[in-house]
Amino acid sequence: MKTRFHTVQDLASVLESENLPLGGYLVAREAFIQGKTADEVNAELDRRIQITRAALDRGLSAPQLSFSGLTRGNAVRLAAPEKAIVTDPFYTRAIAYALAVAEVNACGGRVISFPTAGSCGIVPGTLWAFRDTRPSGEEIDDARFREAFLVASCVGILIAERATLAGAEGGCQAECGAAGAMAAAGLASLCGCAFGAIFDAAALSLKNSLGLACDPVAGLVEVPCVKRNAFLAANALTAVSLELAGVTSVIPFDEVVTALKAIGDSLPANLRENAQGGLAVTPTGLSYREKIRDPRPEAPAGV
Amino acid sequence: MAEKNVSIFDIFGPIMIGPSSSHTAGIARIAYLARKIFPYPVDRARVSFYGSLAWTYRGHGSDKAAVAGLLGIMPEDERLNHSFEIAAESGFTYEIVPVYELPERYHVNTVIIELENAERRIVLRGASIGGGSILIQEINGFEVDLSGELSALLVSHHDEVGVIAIVSHILAANRINIAGTSSHRKEKGDEALLVVEVDSPVGKSIVQQIESLPPIYSVVYIPGLSN
Ligand code: SF4
Repeated sequence: MKTRFHTVQDLASVLESENLPLGGYLVAREAFIQGKTADEVNAELDRRIQITRAALDRGLSAPQLSFSGLTRGNAVRLAAPEKAIVTDPFYTRAIAYALAVAEVNACGGRVISFPTAGSCGIVPGTLWAFRDTRPSGEEIDDARFREAFLVASCVGILIAERATLAGAEGGCQAECGAAGAMAAAGLASLCGCAFGAIFDAAALSLKNSLGLACDPVAGLVEVPCVKRNAFLAANALTAVSLELAGVTSVIPFDEVVTALKAIGDSLPANLRENAQGGLAVTPTGLSYREKIRDPRPEAPAGV
Repeated sequence: MAEKNVSIFDIFGPIMIGPSSSHTAGIARIAYLARKIFPYPVDRARVSFYGSLAWTYRGHGSDKAAVAGLLGIMPEDERLNHSFEIAAESGFTYEIVPVYELPERYHVNTVIIELENAERRIVLRGASIGGGSILIQEINGFEVDLSGELSALLVSHHDEVGVIAIVSHILAANRINIAGTSSHRKEKGDEALLVVEVDSPVGKSIVQQIESLPPIYSVVYIPGLSN
C-alpha cells in the first residue's frame, strides 16, 4: 500500500490508485504502518477523542489556575458569557472549548498534543462544539466524527512532511497556525465538503496565520498560547464559512505550506520559542520570568 | 521525519500530562527510561536541568515529571502531578539541580540523571528534542543515540572482537529481528557498550543467555515506549 504523500496532489493520486475515500484510506494506511487492524485503529482514535472530551469538560467545570499565575480559569467565564457580542452557540462554544482544553494543558492536566501541547485545544474545541450544537435530526455519529479527526491529522501530516510543527523551528504559525488549518479541514469534513474544499479551507485558515511569532512569556506554554487557541478556533470557523459560501483560496494549500516553511526559516531565533523576544521581553513578560525563576528550596508536597 | 511514515498518532498524540510536550512529557519519558536502564534499588537520585529547562522547569512541572518517571509513572498517567507526594510516601529521595550554563555539545533541553546504590551507579544524559520525542545521548560516559521508541538491549561487555556476532546469532536463533545496532567505547578502558534495537520483545531467558557469555558483563533490556 502507498503510505507516503507530501502534497495534496500526491494524496489525491494515492487515493485514486488505492481506490479509497480519504477517511477510509487514512485508517487503512494507519493500520498498515502500525501492523494493526482497522478496528484497532478506530478504537484508538475513539479513545483519544474521549480524552479530548474529558479535558474540555474539566476545563469548563472548574477554573484552571496555573502555578505561574498566567492561566486564570477563563474558559469558565467564556462558557457563561453575560455580555457576549456574538451569541451564536457554535461560535461561543468553539472558543470556550478550545480555551478550556488549552487551560487544562497549561495547568498540568491530561491532554493530547494536537499537533503540539500548546495548540492542543484548537481542533477538539472546534469539532466538539460543532457536534454539540447540531439541531436534532442532524446529529453527527461516531464514525463521521472520527473521520473529522483523521482529516485534521492528515493536514498535520502534510505540514510535518514539508515544513514543521515545532514552534522552536517555525514559530507559532507551525503550532497554532497548523492547528487552525487542521481544525478547518476537520470542520469542513463535518460540513460535508468534498476533498478539494477540505484542503482549500485549510489553506484559507493557514494563510491567515503565516508569520505568527512564538514568544511565550517566561518560556511557559501560557501567554500567548492559551488564548491563541480560542482565536485560532475562530479562524477555522471563518475559513469554513468562507469556503461554504464559495470563497476559495487563491493560493493552494501546498503553496501555503511552502510559504510557511520559508517564513519559519527567516524568523529570528528570538521569535522561535526561546522566550527572548516579543511578548516574553515586555516589562510584564519579564516580571513573570523573574517571579518563577528561583528554584524552590525544596519540593513541597502537593504542588 | 523524513524517512519514516508520519502516523496519525504522531499528530494526534502523544497523550500527555501538560503543559509542555518537550519540557514535561519528554522529561517524564527520559526519567522513565533511565529507571528502566537502571532497574535496581535507588538510594540516591539527582536530576540536573540544563539550558532552557534550568530556567523554566518549575513552571513546566519538569521536576514533577522527572520524579514521576523515576518512580515508573508513565508520561500520560495523571499520577504524574502527585509524584512528589508519592515519592515522599515511598521514601524515595531525590535532588533537583538547575544548571544555568549549557555546555556547547549539549542539546538546549538537556537533563542529566544520576542514580546510585551501594554497588552501582548510572549517569545518563537525555535530550528532549520536541513533541515529546527524546534521545538518550550518554550513558556512563558512552555516547549513545537511543530514542526509546523501540525495545533495546544494552550489552556491556569486554572490548573484544565477535561480540556483535554472538549477540546477533542468539537473537536470530530466537527469531528476533534486529532493527539496528551501535557499538560504543570510551577513549580508554576495556569496557564497551553494544546497543541493539529490536522489533519484538526479548524474553528473560534470552537476556540471561546473552549475559552468561564470557565477554559480557551485564545486559539490560528496555521495553520500547511505543509498544
Ligand atoms: S506561542 Fe510558541 S509555545 Fe505558545 S503555542 Fe505558539 S508555538 Fe507553542
